[in-house]
Amino acid sequence: MCGIIGYIGELHAADGGGETTDEETPGSVGEIVHRGLKNLEYRGYDSAGVALVGPESGLTLAKRSGEVDALSVPDVPDATLGVGHTRWSTHGPPTDANAHPHTDCVGDVAVVHNGIVENYEALRAELADHEFTSDTDTEVIPHLIEEELAADSGGEEGGEGADLLAAVRRVEGRLEGSYGICAVREGDDRIVVARRGSPLVLGRGEDASFVASDVTAFLEHTRDVTYLEDGDVAALSPDGVEVYADGDAVDRETETVTWEADAAEKGGYEHYMRKEIHEQPTALRQTLAGRLDVDAGDVDLDVSFPPGFLADLEEIRIVACGTSYYAGRYAAQLFEDLAGVRATVEIASEYEFGAGRTPDRTLVVAVTQSGETADTLGAIRRANAAGARTFAVTNTLGSTVTREVDGTAFIRAGPEIGVAATKTFASQVATLAMLGVAIGRDRGALAAADARSVLEDLQGLPGAVQQVLDEEQRVREAAREFQDSEAFFFVGRSLGVPVALEGALKLKEISYDHAEGFAAGELKHGPLALVTPETPVIAVLTDGARADETMNNVTEAQTRGAPALGCVSAGDEYDTLDASFDVPDVGVVEPLVANVYLQLFAYHVANEKGRPIDKPRNLAKSVTVE
Amino acid sequence: MRDESGTAVVLAAGEGRRLEPLTNRRPKPMVPVANRPLLEHVVEAVVAAGIDRIVLVVGYKQERIRNHFGDGDDWDVTIEYVEQSTQLGTGHAVLQAEPVVDGPFVVLNGDRLVDAEAVSAVRDRLSDGDAPLVTVTAVERPRDYGVVRLDGDRVIDIDEKPEGPVDTNRINAGVYGFSPAIFDAIRATNATGELAITATLNDLAERDEVTGLGYDGRWLDVSNLWDVLTVNAALIHDTDHAREAPTTGRRIGDTVSVADDVVLAGNVRVGPNATLSGATAIGSNVTIAANAVVENTVVFPDAVIGPGAVVRDAVVAGNAQIGPNATITGGVSTVVVGDTVHRDVTLGGVVGDNASIGGGATLTDGAVVGDDVRADAGVVVDGRVEPNAVVRRG
Repeated sequence: MCGIIGYIGELHAADGGGETTDEETPGSVGEIVHRGLKNLEYRGYDSAGVALVGPESGLTLAKRSGEVDALSVPDVPDATLGVGHTRWSTHGPPTDANAHPHTDCVGDVAVVHNGIVENYEALRAELADHEFTSDTDTEVIPHLIEEELAADSGGEEGGEGADLLAAVRRVEGRLEGSYGICAVREGDDRIVVARRGSPLVLGRGEDASFVASDVTAFLEHTRDVTYLEDGDVAALSPDGVEVYADGDAVDRETETVTWEADAAEKGGYEHYMRKEIHEQPTALRQTLAGRLDVDAGDVDLDVSFPPGFLADLEEIRIVACGTSYYAGRYAAQLFEDLAGVRATVEIASEYEFGAGRTPDRTLVVAVTQSGETADTLGAIRRANAAGARTFAVTNTLGSTVTREVDGTAFIRAGPEIGVAATKTFASQVATLAMLGVAIGRDRGALAAADARSVLEDLQGLPGAVQQVLDEEQRVREAAREFQDSEAFFFVGRSLGVPVALEGALKLKEISYDHAEGFAAGELKHGPLALVTPETPVIAVLTDGARADETMNNVTEAQTRGAPALGCVSAGDEYDTLDASFDVPDVGVVEPLVANVYLQLFAYHVANEKGRPIDKPRNLAKSVTVE
Repeated sequence: MRDESGTAVVLAAGEGRRLEPLTNRRPKPMVPVANRPLLEHVVEAVVAAGIDRIVLVVGYKQERIRNHFGDGDDWDVTIEYVEQSTQLGTGHAVLQAEPVVDGPFVVLNGDRLVDAEAVSAVRDRLSDGDAPLVTVTAVERPRDYGVVRLDGDRVIDIDEKPEGPVDTNRINAGVYGFSPAIFDAIRATNATGELAITATLNDLAERDEVTGLGYDGRWLDVSNLWDVLTVNAALIHDTDHAREAPTTGRRIGDTVSVADDVVLAGNVRVGPNATLSGATAIGSNVTIAANAVVENTVVFPDAVIGPGAVVRDAVVAGNAQIGPNATITGGVSTVVVGDTVHRDVTLGGVVGDNASIGGGATLTDGAVVGDDVRADAGVVVDGRVEPNAVVRRG
């Protein structure tokens, strides 16, 4: 999922950067490259970097793990060209050192790369006298270029005769695997690119040229593009673009892109959120892959605790924010049932270690999709300071939280772009349920037969979610019918409570409607005063959510004229509901499956109202401030 | 490789009713064989032919397609989507692509498997002019398809599923080369009801304007349920298994027997003493419990095959549950589809999505169990069971 952008243009460099925030104004080289990286954000990433080259300033490099926004692109007024890269690590951590661009020993050559150099170990062995600073396969490329340049110049660094284009062409012949490469060099006014296996596309502007792994990176600047073919090497210079294949200059056709950037990014979906809702079966299969040992009634989460720690455990405290907090609420009930240990949940920003607790008998579990949530990190630091054992459940390899806790379980949901969390909630709960089984088995609190039953329910989760997705049309109809309501109340009991809270959060986040979630029993203790014929009640009426008792409370609301919608265990029926949605039989995870209906409901209400679903007003995906 | 990489329009909007119940929850192009949807095999052939832009015409259950293919990154190709909201025929489907193509283009069916050569042969002739190109291949049962009469390389006509005797075994392989002129020709075609692309081609053929291109490579069609098994077997037998899905996340016991012609998805659990053989494909998150025997069978993702179950010559769809010691004996049978009786087809049985077959139950040969069916323990299931039905004992 890495992304590449390169830009070369004389015209805009003369503007000297400055205060260009207007979309119409191209801005400096650094700004254009930075914006290209922003356009590639949708692919998911965990580190980013740029290299800028100017006649006076030489080669300037900036790279780091984390947000594209957090990357401060250096102000290089004389820069005429630059390349940038976003990296999404799936194997190996996202560190500053592993971020692209990578350089040669002296820092004259910088390379960004998308793909895999399969023979990098052999090449690295050949480059024994070079100094490597990262764990990446990519880093061999700048060193190979350095070697080829040195050979050309008779051993002298940067001597006459050393040509970047010729060097890249020879290096290209030594690489095995798949790659798209962009190389720049101090003192050279070109970007040299090579493609084999990984996409690279050139953009042909009037006074500027672009290269990218994906057209969307530069679509705001030009729609005239040239797709490179495997084995092509091209040089982007102030005079234009030259493409070579097998050493000969070739003409590659220029096409005009007619489609809109947004459509391509989202794979044809209108919004990331809907795409990610539909990705849940796949995400859950990844979450569960290889971790369930149903026959033995155990799970393999690849986590370990000191001997005796779990046996002596007094309390599991979960700290989290937003949707992750509701996943924690779900998990806390499962922990008590499965692991026989007191489990509490605290909003991370409110968390203090608190009196009456024994640090070495407390496990504090942080639940955070990004692993960068400032409030959650703060809570973990307070827990660490108190001497408690800490643990993280996160989607992001190498994120800050993983470095600050004693152990981590990854939810493996894949990148999530929509601000409203959907698939990560499902994967968080599934991962926490597995953790509950693991702890319960370790403590001897959970019989193998009971564990098996939970694991079979988990195993049935992806298929059950797919069944719900197949019902989307009916949810859309319900959303159309009720979209103009004054307010929406979500209710449930037991495991239905966190789902009701999450359902309300989802709706308010993206539709801006007034939505509240309650424990169903609380309705009559206050909120019932808000109920009118204009306020639909949406109930979780499944296994694990004390459906019959909840239905009694729903009836109280119906008596006041409120319409009622319910997610009901397959086979059960509540005749008075205005709309009823079947939830397949998967035991304790039925409320989690019901939540998919609530996601779809929120999505379609917001979509009918034309809300900016992926970027709701005032909200950010990863909240890195306290 | 040629300079121009071109655009392919792939028709994937159809429902595929003859494959019910498998197509009740997914469009036919998303029916998996050898663990990948039919459409993915088509996309791979297009990519292998060097085309780097694909327009998918989608309609029925299109979320399944969009979700699987996204923007094409995983196949190193740009995938765009156009919607055919009502399925009014293949000509109408091609017409939906008009706003997004501006030069000559290749058209394929999303549910017919061809080799890359069929695509590149058409692509290489695209620039010859406005005359449509039709790929023609020889098959054993031409009367099931569009029979093509040729005069040299001129197409005389295309006769869809002719009733009478046919004097050629050459049929329309469903890979076309068109210029944008085809859009006006489609609009000019007189059609009552469905607007088939072959109707337009017949109009043009009358004016000697259609060129036939011979193709003798792989051509696989999934018309009926049992074709899922034969096409799956054909693909498994000529695929290099080493490059199949990664083995991470599998849990396979020591005493399990897995034959060479079995493909397993990454995330599969197989219990002790289970035996897998005979052109079998096992999808993601599937569980095969202890002592089960699975042979010449396609198992979709999330399904569970219980302990001791015997499943032969079968299609087990997504999230279906086969109870302990349930039996699908397998073998040659007679299957009725609509008003047509098909004799001597190899089909042990089909279990639809989310259906549950109770412990010790038996499917007689050729039984087709709809999606969401509940069959009680010990029942004998015969013939076709409609979706959502409950099969009780006694």
